[in-house]
Amino acid sequence: MLNIIVCIKQVPMVSELPWDSKTGTLRREVAPGMLDPASRRALEAALRIKAGQPARISAVAMGPPMAEEVLYEAKALGADTGILLTDRKMAGADTYLTSFILGELIRREFPDFDLILCGSQTSDSETGQVGPQLAEELGIPDIGYARRVTIVNSSVKVERHVDDYFEVLEMDLPGLVTVDLAAYQPRYAPLEGLQAAFESTDIRIINAKALGLDNTFNALKDSPTRIIEVFSPTARKENRVLKGAVKKIVDGLFADYGKVISGALGKDLKTYAHDGE
Amino acid sequence: MDFNPCTKHQLIRKSVREFAENEIKPHVSDLDREARFPWEIVEKMKPLNFFGLQTPREYGGADLDTISYAIVIEEISRVSAALGLCVTVHNSVGIYPILKFGTKTQKTTFVPDLAGGARIGAFCLTEANAGSDAGGVETHAVEVADGYVLNGTKIFVTNGGVCGTILVFAVSETEAKKGLASVFIVEKERPGFSVGEIEDLCGMRANPVSSLFFEDCKVPHENLLGRMGQGIKIGLSALDTGRIGIAAQALGIAQAAFEAAASYAKERQQFSRPISKFQTIQNYLADIATEIDASRLLLYRAAARKDSGQPFSAESSMAKLHCSATARKVTDLAVQIHGGYGYSKEYDVERYFRDAKVTQIYEGTSEVQKLVIARSILSQPS
Amino acid sequence: MMEPNKDIWVFGDYRNYFRNRVTLQILARATELAARTGGEVCAVVFGHQVDEFVSEYRAHGAGRVYVLDDPALKQYSIETYTFLMCRLVEEFKPETLLVGATQFGKEIAPRIAKKLGTGLTADCIDLAVDEQGRLVQTAPSFGGNLIARIITPNHWPQMAIIRPGTFQELPHDYDAQGEIVPLVLPRDLPADKIRCVTSEHRPSRKRKIEDADIVIAGGRGMGSKGKFKKLFELAELMQGEVGATRPVVYANWIGHDALVGQAGKHIKPKILFSFGISGAIQHTAAITNADFIVAVNKNPNATMMKMADVAIVADANQACLGIIRALKERIRV
Repeated sequence: MLNIIVCIKQVPMVSELPWDSKTGTLRREVAPGMLDPASRRALEAALRIKAGQPARISAVAMGPPMAEEVLYEAKALGADTGILLTDRKMAGADTYLTSFILGELIRREFPDFDLILCGSQTSDSETGQVGPQLAEELGIPDIGYARRVTIVNSSVKVERHVDDYFEVLEMDLPGLVTVDLAAYQPRYAPLEGLQAAFESTDIRIINAKALGLDNTFNALKDSPTRIIEVFSPTARKENRVLKGAVKKIVDGLFADYGKVISGALGKDLKTYAHDGE
Repeated sequence: MDFNPCTKHQLIRKSVREFAENEIKPHVSDLDREARFPWEIVEKMKPLNFFGLQTPREYGGADLDTISYAIVIEEISRVSAALGLCVTVHNSVGIYPILKFGTKTQKTTFVPDLAGGARIGAFCLTEANAGSDAGGVETHAVEVADGYVLNGTKIFVTNGGVCGTILVFAVSETEAKKGLASVFIVEKERPGFSVGEIEDLCGMRANPVSSLFFEDCKVPHENLLGRMGQGIKIGLSALDTGRIGIAAQALGIAQAAFEAAASYAKERQQFSRPISKFQTIQNYLADIATEIDASRLLLYRAAARKDSGQPFSAESSMAKLHCSATARKVTDLAVQIHGGYGYSKEYDVERYFRDAKVTQIYEGTSEVQKLVIARSILSQPS
Repeated sequence: MMEPNKDIWVFGDYRNYFRNRVTLQILARATELAARTGGEVCAVVFGHQVDEFVSEYRAHGAGRVYVLDDPALKQYSIETYTFLMCRLVEEFKPETLLVGATQFGKEIAPRIAKKLGTGLTADCIDLAVDEQGRLVQTAPSFGGNLIARIITPNHWPQMAIIRPGTFQELPHDYDAQGEIVPLVLPRDLPADKIRCVTSEHRPSRKRKIEDADIVIAGGRGMGSKGKFKKLFELAELMQGEVGATRPVVYANWIGHDALVGQAGKHIKPKILFSFGISGAIQHTAAITNADFIVAVNKNPNATMMKMADVAIVADANQACLGIIRALKERIRV
């Protein structure tokens, strides 16, 4: 029986959060959460492995209490169990501490794991660091950006396309693989699975104390990196606004910026009488 | 009393919305224009249990509660009302009566194929001279040695063109005199069964609504649902449930129209500002949002009463009455907010506008809903 | 035991050299930073028969190049390179270690940082030093909606991953006299737990969007997969490349290769046409090097519209069709 852990994350559903320029804060609360797309592909990879051999899939997430939703979703999709790590003390952890916390959980709850799957990068922070750092934390090898993951005997075989190289790699287990967004079309959760997930008792919540982290633990304070300033990307340039009928706009565009366009195009453009209007 | 949706209901909504946005939405406008039923989408819906929403797991269903059921129908209908119609009719009046009134053998024989989507369900009551008045049914059932022989014509049958298992309302000679009726389960392969032309309707065009013909169509005794003469009871019970689905469908249409109107109002510029800055438009949006919220609360209350085993007939009528009126009003205002563009097929709101109307007609007209509600009020001891 | 010094190390990521010059770009900025902090800019190269790259790094700003040249290092390896880099950092104690955001760089830097017990900022779009000489790392943050300046105040070394195209490389200096420090492969190199079955150089045959002079980018505002296809017609006419935002890629309107954004490609076209893109920072941060931007959006207040040189308030699909029509009239054949 292959013991697979899939690390998943809840991310805001919208790609652009409303930014309140008056208060300088981000209105995170208005965005509902969803299962991070790369995490979902990592889970899909696990489900496909399980379709071919006996395996047990444990989904693990870290986040605020509302993030339990992605564990129910994982359960509905086919994970066997789920654990949510949630605690105010864990909030604000950078990748260094996040990988430490996940490592603590895995050492405690899943000492016999064979394979850890993560998304190659989450859609909200996109650092792609937690996977490799979790591998380092646990002292196991890792392969990133997998497009196909299969189990061959006691090792994992990964196909990937990185930096213009198409590679097939084999890695001893236990090991960690991060799964690329370009891998697999993930399945939808069946309604029966969703209903069953909420009837099950396979989702647990673990806080810092239960994880054995001592009272002084404070992710925000203990993270090696510190944010000193945050700002919104600034507007730029002349910012000429064209509006009205499309035909008029397009003619205006070519009249005023024909040179810029033809310059980029490397070709002359015919000018029209109405281009001068 | 908690008015916040629970995690399960939120997740079910998100999951269905994601499916509908990705797999249904890109095709909706073509399906409407071509009046085509999307079998290819149905294929994708089958393994996700859309055809066995409240069917118990032993028959291959999802075993959802009724609020979840309403959410699923609302979310499909928000993207495609015609497909929402297919799913709700299939589940509520196509399967539910068999689960409630069928024998164990009937359940194991008919339900798994329906719940898995291998067969689409339909329920036919309406005839040229019978609709709201179920007593006017002329389709006849004559008992013979090895079953019943059906003769008659049903009209405006939702899912008619694609149905595989049909619940048919018919009367025997003795029943006709007593104002009774019976319900028979007919498989589309039965000799004597045939499908008429697909109706050319104002809205819901991707649903193949059609007439169904029964000409000396014989079914075995085991295809009688419940007992002879139990038809009206089965029908009313099916319609109580069906109304929740239609209310959810109307709510989905209203929600879609609301979202379109709000987003258009923020984008559309007139007199150098978005039209959402004008108080008239704000009034419209405020009215719409309030009506939708009220509709949703009525609907979920009816669904919750059904789940807790309380009577919900009047409540589901209220929900259906109000949700369908809201759909009409909201789609009308959404077109109005869009101005000339709203009247163009380039935008979705004209389809919402066409789809909305029928929710006040089928599964009991608004007038009939008021009758049900009034009866319930007047039957209370004073 | 040496004390940490002011040196700035740059990981010599030479695979795909010529196509990928991020190491040279980082060396250029490191040179400016070192001028303020007083350290040496050093490149670190692992591999076999890498003389050519060593010379390139010297010629582009490296005052010192540490070279570990051994047949055992012929193939890029996360485990081996992580081990070696950590060993060298502990031995030579540079203050800062910078890595280019190639996929390999993004894989190895987190492991190195973790092993060394320090922080790491991903995907930096700027680097500076403050009055105290600390490295200020600028990167998109908070779900990519904002830009953050980050420091690593109490941990050593300071580490950052730098997005390609962020800095301009220095001109080739034929007289560069940088020191070359050859190193010997340690004997206690751990066995690699990853075996390479096949590795094939498969550069994408298509013209690369990163290098395109004209990019036609589309977002959800194009309306549908079918309408999005019109962008290809426009790109064909202009001999440009089509790019896309994340929602579009997730909706499968176009492949992941076309993703312009933090997790995708960074572009620097002479002209960028942006259709129906609202402008999430993951996307906008990847287009800051576009010379000229024409944005089309129904919403005049979209971030993308504010960033544009020309902001066209219109339906993206209609405007695309209009521009196609206008170009067909105007392009001389």
